[in-house]
Amino acid sequence: MERQTILQGRVLITPLTAFLIALLGFPLLLDLVYSVSRVGFENIRAPELSGLGNYAKALADPEFWAAAWFSLRFGVIVASIQVVAGLMLAIFLAPLFAARPWLIAFLMLPMMVAPALVGLMYRLILHEFVGAVPYYLLEWYGDFPAFLGRQWVFTTLVVIETLQWTPFALLILHSAYAAISPDVREAAALDGATGFRQLVSIDLPLMLPAIGVTAFIRFIDSFRVFDNIYTLVGSGAGGSTTSMSIYIYQAFFKVGDIGLAVAASMLLLAASFVVLWTINRLTARRDPA
Amino acid sequence: MNPTLSSRPFMSALRWLVFAIAVVVLNFPVIATLVTSLKSDAEISSNASLIIEDPTLDNYAAIFAMADRFDILHYLMNSLVASLIGSALAIGLAFPAAYAMARFKTGRSWLLPLAVNLRAVPLIIFAIPIYLMYQQVGLLDTRLGLAFIFALVNIPLVLVLFTSAIAELPFEIEEAARVDGASTLRLIWHVVLPMSLNVVAASSVLAFIYSWNEFLFGLMLTTSRATPISVGASFFFAASGGGVRWGVAAAVMILATLPPLLLGLLMYRQIGRSMTAGAVKG
Repeated sequence: MERQTILQGRVLITPLTAFLIALLGFPLLLDLVYSVSRVGFENIRAPELSGLGNYAKALADPEFWAAAWFSLRFGVIVASIQVVAGLMLAIFLAPLFAARPWLIAFLMLPMMVAPALVGLMYRLILHEFVGAVPYYLLEWYGDFPAFLGRQWVFTTLVVIETLQWTPFALLILHSAYAAISPDVREAAALDGATGFRQLVSIDLPLMLPAIGVTAFIRFIDSFRVFDNIYTLVGSGAGGSTTSMSIYIYQAFFKVGDIGLAVAASMLLLAASFVVLWTINRLTARRDPA
Repeated sequence: MNPTLSSRPFMSALRWLVFAIAVVVLNFPVIATLVTSLKSDAEISSNASLIIEDPTLDNYAAIFAMADRFDILHYLMNSLVASLIGSALAIGLAFPAAYAMARFKTGRSWLLPLAVNLRAVPLIIFAIPIYLMYQQVGLLDTRLGLAFIFALVNIPLVLVLFTSAIAELPFEIEEAARVDGASTLRLIWHVVLPMSLNVVAASSVLAFIYSWNEFLFGLMLTTSRATPISVGASFFFAASGGGVRWGVAAAVMILATLPPLLLGLLMYRQIGRSMTAGAVKG
């Protein structure tokens, strides 16, 4: 029976495992080989080994570091804003959602729109002649900034990303808040804790794991941002909006330097592992149920 | 909590106000695009406000008149077919594996974390070798090739959802079926799957939405035959003589956004629950 169970288990996971090996394992192997080879589109089938040259090239490229810095800064900033905004909305609007849960559907809608289309929509909305945003800013303030110009483009992207994904933070944090037992709050109220005191001493500490998870997910998703930036500004004003994903895409498709693109991919993978390892260490005490 | 009686209606009104502002601000891109799509070309260039003076559906008709250059039905069909296949594939691969993980603990220690952590790895890392691989095997610019990627994108989430859903099912029913002589496959198909239908339905919808919205791989792995709508929509921004036809472009974006938006609105409860569970259990 025991041996049969093991066998059955293996049979059941085989299709998934085979799929992942084909679509991830094999490509990863290719990545590894190409990253230590001199390779372009002309000798793609017979790359010649060249050692760590591609890695050195990536690490010596100021644009690589600019892209890494952009992604890191972008990820940290938008994740922080989204968590704070989501938390405030979740707690402030909790009584509304408790009475009418369907209201939350209207706040979830932005998450259903493709980020690529969001980027395109802002091309329209921010356009100086036909866009609604410049129109109203002109109406109310008499002026509007060059949203996609070098000076403002980072802020613009932060706002766009925040508007699209704050609902995600709101959703997760709302369910964490709603899951707090009313007994705990009642007990605190009996002991004389006011609303604010309850928030600081009870709600926020109990929500801390959810806040951490939300921040982490929003960070990694924003770190690898591609779609909306690509459709809105391309590589942007003088490369000022080149994220890591866009850097790799361009090294491959525009420059045709496969070795560089692949080496950058491997460095990005290594960075992802460092982040994941750190997170796993931090959450190690949580039993993986 | 002891709000005075007089502050209650005020707070309630304030909450409604904040809610209304949040809805408008967060959904602003879609609202403004919808408004533009309902204006004539002349009105778009003379009136950029959110008030439509003379609503028209001309832009929607114009999309289909441009079918010889940009075939929107073709892009929509590509997205539909590839998203359906991709979602079905993700579920078909993940469900039996999730059962093995939840009941037999097979692969729990390596396959589950591997698949879950995949969620945190930028997929662009695999994009270049997949491109080269697809080129070799003839999957470049095909709906099937796109569907494989959509499945890959969704596997981390559906696997987590299925594993925890199956672990929570009452084991007694399965045991009873087993005593009656049901094989494992029969058991999964006739007992476990029907009991997990809620999760499977929600995961399918979520996977479909994510697939429909996927862009990077659509951009890299297709050129014309299999172009999905997320990529095809940008073609309508191509200048055609007198510059971008904003009304048509807006109408295309609305059509491209409608399917996931409607699904989201109809199934918000199930989707919300899945997203939350996926986040917390992932």
